[in-house]
Amino acid sequence: MIAAVDTTPTPAPRPSLGMIDLLLRDREAMLARIRQGADLAAIMRTMIATIAVTMAIVGAALGSYRGGVQIAYAAAKLPLVLLGTAALSAPALSAIGAALGRRSRLTADLALVMSALAFGALLLVACTPLIMLGRSVELDYHRMILAVVAMFAASGGAALRMIWRGVELEAAPGWRTAVVGLCVVFSLVGGQLSWALRPYLLRPRAPEPMFIRDVEDSLFDSIAGSMRSARGIYVRDAAPLGEPAP
Amino acid sequence: MSVATQAPFPVSRGLAIALAAAGPVAVGGILAARAHDASPMLAAPAIVFGVVAATGPALYIATAAAGNAPPLAAVIRAFGVALGAFGIALAGLILPAAFLSLSSVSAATTLIATSGTVAIAGYLGLRRLATELKAQSPDAGIRPSLTGGMVFLVWAVATAAIAGRLWWDLAVEVVS
Repeated sequence: MIAAVDTTPTPAPRPSLGMIDLLLRDREAMLARIRQGADLAAIMRTMIATIAVTMAIVGAALGSYRGGVQIAYAAAKLPLVLLGTAALSAPALSAIGAALGRRSRLTADLALVMSALAFGALLLVACTPLIMLGRSVELDYHRMILAVVAMFAASGGAALRMIWRGVELEAAPGWRTAVVGLCVVFSLVGGQLSWALRPYLLRPRAPEPMFIRDVEDSLFDSIAGSMRSARGIYVRDAAPLGEPAP
Repeated sequence: MSVATQAPFPVSRGLAIALAAAGPVAVGGILAARAHDASPMLAAPAIVFGVVAATGPALYIATAAAGNAPPLAAVIRAFGVALGAFGIALAGLILPAAFLSLSSVSAATTLIATSGTVAIAGYLGLRRLATELKAQSPDAGIRPSLTGGMVFLVWAVATAAIAGRLWWDLAVEVVS
């Protein structure tokens, strides 16, 4: 009986789970796989699924600060932001690199970007208990925002480091410019897409949210408007005015 | 290993040059979509190829006079590779630019997104041209010199300024 148990083969982990484990434990090996072009389609599938699931969890956690339908809205929108930004921005890495003589392959670059983002998304999902902790101790809205920004910044930094390392290993001409170009494009597109699909984190007393707002000014127009307002220059007809002094 | 000794692009050179023609048409298309005016789709590629055709010979003449020019065929080849690099860079940047422009109602966003895209692609094209010319020089028995570098720098600034001015006038007129 004991012998029968001992000889039973251990079931091999599912390839997708093994890949996520590899991403978490040994990113150099993961980068080597991508560089060799081994099984890129499977890597892409796994990473896209990882981003979709983990960002939905993070979105749901953020939405839980307001509660109700916002949980579902944020869970649906956050994966769209990351996957959409990656799809729009990743070709810039290949194109800028190729323009400067780097032997880039669009599929391998896309797999690299998706793997790095999946790594960042996994780190973010590991922070979800902290978001829930903030909710449970009723951390005030602004502190919650700052905490979430810090989590996203740390995860984004880790993802960027992986992309940097992956391209650096090729030692191809123009690789630094290609990575910097990707970062610029990713920041602009990611900022605008997340702005267009906002909000994710809402005050508990906020009115019933909408899923998507109408197309309006861009994030950058809004920042420019805020800077003008800070200098006392208002372009709206009904700019909010302070109470006159007694 | 120099860039010029490798295959210049991951796509054929013909496709890269075709992208150099199609890219400005697409960028012009973003402006056209904002302004409901198709003229930028013709004007943008005309600016790119017109400015290169008008200023390219000046670079060869100046570098040849300074004793720093590779053979004419090598210079023409370098221009072809640089145009291809410009086209490939535009191909990678066109989607983000289109998204930024179409997801906002602001004309300023369209202006900045399209102009930034053309500027980045132009910078990459000029950088690739410098690399290609530098890589051709040893084959022609030419040593890199400060004079040659200065000639290229002045030419690049002048070319970028001319193209930039034409583009900006076009974009502002169409969008406003």
